[in-house]
Amino acid sequence: MRKYLQRDQKKLAFLLLSPSFLLLLLIAFYPLFTVVKSSFTNETFASAQKAQWVGLSNYKELLAMRVVSLPKSAKKMSQVEILEHLNSHDLSNFKPLSRIPIFGETKILVASDPDFILAVKDTLFFTVISVFLELILGMMIALMLVAQFKGQGFFRMAMLIPWAIPTVISSKMWGWMFAPSRLGIMNVMAQWLGFTDGQFPFLLNETSQLWVIIAIDVWKTTPFMALLLMAGLQAIPRGLYEAATVDGYSSWRQFWNITLPLLKPTIVVALIFRTLDALRVFDLFQIIFAQKRFSLASFTYYQLIDTKRMGYSSAAGIIIFLIIFLFTLVYMRIVRENIYD
Amino acid sequence: MKKKLIQHSIRLLYFVSLVLFISSCGKKQQTAVDNAKIKLVVASGAIGEELKETQQKAKRFMQLHPNVIVEVLDTPDLSTDRLGFIMQTFAAQSDAIDIMQIDVIWTGDLREHLVDLNVYGAAEHAKNHFPAIIENNTVDGKLLAMPMFIDGGMLYYRKDLLEKYGFEEPPKTWQQLEKIAQTVQDGEREAQNKDFWGFLWQGDAYEGLTCDALEWVSSNDGGTLVELNGDISIDNANAAEAIDMAKNWIGTISPEAVLGYGEEDTRMIFQSGNAMFMRNWPYAYNLGQAKESAVSGKFDVAPLPRGRGKSSSTLGGWELAVSKYSKHPKEAAELVFFMTGEKEQKTTALTIGNNPTILKLYKDKEILKAIPYIPILYDTFQGAVPRPSTATAPNYSQVSRSFFVNVHNALSGKITGEEAVKTAALDIRNILKK
Repeated sequence: MRKYLQRDQKKLAFLLLSPSFLLLLLIAFYPLFTVVKSSFTNETFASAQKAQWVGLSNYKELLAMRVVSLPKSAKKMSQVEILEHLNSHDLSNFKPLSRIPIFGETKILVASDPDFILAVKDTLFFTVISVFLELILGMMIALMLVAQFKGQGFFRMAMLIPWAIPTVISSKMWGWMFAPSRLGIMNVMAQWLGFTDGQFPFLLNETSQLWVIIAIDVWKTTPFMALLLMAGLQAIPRGLYEAATVDGYSSWRQFWNITLPLLKPTIVVALIFRTLDALRVFDLFQIIFAQKRFSLASFTYYQLIDTKRMGYSSAAGIIIFLIIFLFTLVYMRIVRENIYD
Repeated sequence: MKKKLIQHSIRLLYFVSLVLFISSCGKKQQTAVDNAKIKLVVASGAIGEELKETQQKAKRFMQLHPNVIVEVLDTPDLSTDRLGFIMQTFAAQSDAIDIMQIDVIWTGDLREHLVDLNVYGAAEHAKNHFPAIIENNTVDGKLLAMPMFIDGGMLYYRKDLLEKYGFEEPPKTWQQLEKIAQTVQDGEREAQNKDFWGFLWQGDAYEGLTCDALEWVSSNDGGTLVELNGDISIDNANAAEAIDMAKNWIGTISPEAVLGYGEEDTRMIFQSGNAMFMRNWPYAYNLGQAKESAVSGKFDVAPLPRGRGKSSSTLGGWELAVSKYSKHPKEAAELVFFMTGEKEQKTTALTIGNNPTILKLYKDKEILKAIPYIPILYDTFQGAVPRPSTATAPNYSQVSRSFFVNVHNALSGKITGEEAVKTAALDIRNILKK
């Protein structure tokens, strides 16, 4: 009798779960499957042309890199000379990734799509640095705001404002602040401090570009990090701190021995959220750089809308998916070790 | 027994909802439109007064054609977003939109989705418009779109300062421009305006730089990047010279920051009275003459200067095209001819200042009164250079990106003008080979 009931319950469970499973199939797996399929074709976006199966060639074009030996020092060759050298060696599809030689004076790295390789590099750099800074600053803010003081509610609210502003608006706003002339406050300040002549092109200079983007993202997302960490901090029993104080522990040691270990699961979850989010960054890059410099997502968008290479863009999308998947796997391992042990 | 009943009803409910869901996916939405009437949907631009203007036109058309209902749809402001929206409609082969407002550089790319208007008698309308724009819209002998309004680069100059420093007329050549700009800039800086610059233009790495650079190159007899027959012509000494000329402006008569400027950046600086010359589109004129502008009444426009060749201005503007998936292409074409016709273009010119594409209107007394700079535009548009969007379709956006990235590299001193044109030529050859 009991067995029968169990089986019946199981059946009912499947029955009740099946609509959501079906929905998941429909809205998650079907699109994913379509993208995978189109990444193996040369499909053109919004075209009646029949797509052809091209195997892995989209992936090859995205990722192909070579080390090329040049007849003389890379620094002494002009860009045209390098390109002509590549053309004459059947490498006309390749372009130099940068002019800086590797493994000796005459060897440089070339890629078939330098834009994509740079997008991968920039996105990873952006993710690591911005998430790290957000964690440190978010922790500081969370520790501050979790303490009892007058006007706590007001400060908590004020802290959240940057996060509440839509990214489109804050990106535009910061874009203006970093304007390459005295119209932008950053140039006014930099000139006042004596660093520049008030004409520094923050958004054009290749080294400052990424740091500006990181600064905007840190400004915008630190509140979110702080909010998550604050929730974790509030769950730590007060009694632990009281006991530690009685035992004569300094607040520094209390932080390292009580707060940090107990907050670890929260930190891991917050890091997952932010990392996965940062890897998909689109709006910031699209609004501030458009086609000057790409993140992975804005590269995919450019390939789809502007060059209409749907197959190619799908392949780029799949690579983003794989990168994020890899990060998730690593994090899931860390979560399992930290939360369920 | 009871349990079974519950199970059955859940199953039934689930099944019914699934069927309903699936069937609703395929079904067309019933609209309240009277079936006897033909419904046309126009995807219009919505920048400034544009949307209202199109709605007015639609209303007037409906009065003349009582059997047609015209619905005007709002589309995104940002040009690439609008392209994305139109592409999605085409990808779905949807008949939801009959007519779309498209950029002059999209005609080639969208060719397989647009109706040949010649079939519906476009020839008699087309002959009234600027030939350059009709040529741009003709792909393989098919006329795919009718122009609504036209844009082109012009030279804005401060006539008060021109007079103050003793110059008689706006510059005809780039050399004259350099000389005037330098003199005025030096003078104004001495007179304590340290933010004053001689010449502003669009130097950021985007489509706008393609427009500006094409003007320098073409006015120096350096071709138009890719010629109509598909020849890649950019690799020549005149083109390289033109780019080097612009490079020399930076730091002398143009700020280094010009490498990050788009249209609006230059307009704001010019409008606040901090520049002698500016290259910009016609839209900046009315804004500059507005009451809150510091240069209101103090500036005028002229055709862009020339180098070895003749003055050139990059062709811009928007047009109307009929979707191939429309159910009523004939009526849609009729509506397009109406909206781009002489009477409607005149109304739009008078109300929101869009420049007509019909030659005759440039002699119209009312328009001459409302838009005083229109005779200059006429000369400008006669020398308009279309971007090679039709010759390189569907790869124009890659070609343009390669060009502006290389020109930008040359302007910022990473490579020479010669290297820029050579690299661009090699790059474009690879793009078009694919």
